[in-house]
Amino acid sequence: MVQAAGVSKWFGDLVAVSDVSFSIGAGVTALLGPNGAGKSTMLRMMCGLAKPSNGSVTVLGKEPRSDVAVLGRIGMAPQQESLLDHLSGQEFVELAANLHHLQRPAESARQAIQTVELDPDDPRRLSTYSKGMRQRIKLAQAIVHDPLVIALDEPLTGLDPRQRREMISLFHRLGSEGKCVIVSSHVLDEVERFGSRVLVMAQGRLAAEGDFREIRNLMDDRPLRISIRTDQPRELAIALLDRGVISGCRLEGTDGVVVDTNDAAAFRRAVAPAAREQDASLRELRPLDDDLESVFRYLVAQ
Amino acid sequence: MNLAVYRVILRTQLSPARLLVLAGLSGVAILLAFTARASDDTVEVATRTIANFGINIFAAFIALALGSAALGNLVEDRTLVYLWLRPVSRHSIATAAMAAVVTVVVPILVVVMTVAAVITGVGELVAATAVATALAAFAYSGIFVALGLRFKRSLLIGLGYIAIWELLMSRLGDWFARLSIRSYPMSILSDATDVSMRLADRSTLASYIVPLAVGLAGLLYTSWSLTRTEID
Repeated sequence: MVQAAGVSKWFGDLVAVSDVSFSIGAGVTALLGPNGAGKSTMLRMMCGLAKPSNGSVTVLGKEPRSDVAVLGRIGMAPQQESLLDHLSGQEFVELAANLHHLQRPAESARQAIQTVELDPDDPRRLSTYSKGMRQRIKLAQAIVHDPLVIALDEPLTGLDPRQRREMISLFHRLGSEGKCVIVSSHVLDEVERFGSRVLVMAQGRLAAEGDFREIRNLMDDRPLRISIRTDQPRELAIALLDRGVISGCRLEGTDGVVVDTNDAAAFRRAVAPAAREQDASLRELRPLDDDLESVFRYLVAQ
Repeated sequence: MNLAVYRVILRTQLSPARLLVLAGLSGVAILLAFTARASDDTVEVATRTIANFGINIFAAFIALALGSAALGNLVEDRTLVYLWLRPVSRHSIATAAMAAVVTVVVPILVVVMTVAAVITGVGELVAATAVATALAAFAYSGIFVALGLRFKRSLLIGLGYIAIWELLMSRLGDWFARLSIRSYPMSILSDATDVSMRLADRSTLASYIVPLAVGLAGLLYTSWSLTRTEID
């Protein structure tokens, strides 16, 4: 449904997206990457809001930048919080329905607003909406016309855990209805719940692509430094060395040890049995370089 | 023109602050009209008052304030995306924005300045004022809607344009005058009352056609810009 072929986008000297190619079909696809990775720019090009400097983006075989008609099959919730604040939620979504030439715009808008669990009869202006409500009304305007391709830029920001669960289940429902749902996020754990297909972007490039579990394994294969707090750091470090799951260690104070591992999955499996064997109590396990930036830097280097 | 877009932009046009400025300018226009009526050479003073205040200041500034904000505010607060993402032609968005501005600017300007012309008591000035202010408002609206879409500091740029080009440079000679908007509607007033003003030589037809053409050119430029601009 969505195809990018050798897409690059630069703004003056700044390269936002560099030679990215992929193909996305029906279902939920997560676009994962740290802030500034080029995710929003990529989504904007998919929706025709920006023109690629090089390469091409097609949606349902058409270029959204030049073919206005294809915008009728695309729904997008942009990242920015700003809305047409002088309108009510119903008016805002109804405007979208009108511009999509729906036959019963008021009714379609009500339905979309109810889908995202807001009240269509709420007369308040959008300027009074909370961050979570703004996110949901953006989603409502993106789905009001029942589009085939739905691009959502960081749609879970500002939602509470229950709302997140419900939104994710909505994404899955839309995906299972045969729609192409592309959801960008910079939160790794969030993406894990979106679905199986992931595109990882870092520094404007497509760093990895495929099933989330494969990506997770790739991430687990990288060298990782972990801080362990335990009452028996020396004994636990020796036990882990004996099991061959760490490549080095350094004691820190009386209750800490920092270990290096090349196999995070094996380490995770081994650490609890090793602690039990040494009768050591584990107080804290904290990856020292597990922030997204380092994960993505590693993936780019691969 | 897209009616839904028209209604949305129209609702943003009249903020309380703008209404206050409009009321203030209208009050000044009426006051100046009474002053012109009381003067010794009513025809000359009235013509110059309508031209200098009605066209040079009132029409230009009201069109700038509302025109530059029509699409400019949507660009600035990053909400143009909610109109742009839809399967509607860019030309219909541009036309809706221009229509929303003209809907407010032209009636207010024409009514206030025509009432002012009536107050002066110069009969031949009344119809000419209605036509001249309407044409000036249309031309300026076209330019400033385009300016609002194209530049982030459109209000400042517009003020600079009005002050430097329209009010200053256009008085320097025939060619400068030909390239300023103000001189065309002003010449309609001049023709109606035979009051001589420093304007370029031109046919009467040009006085009507050029402001219309400028407004339409602004609209076409806005449409073209909308197809090319990258939406944030």
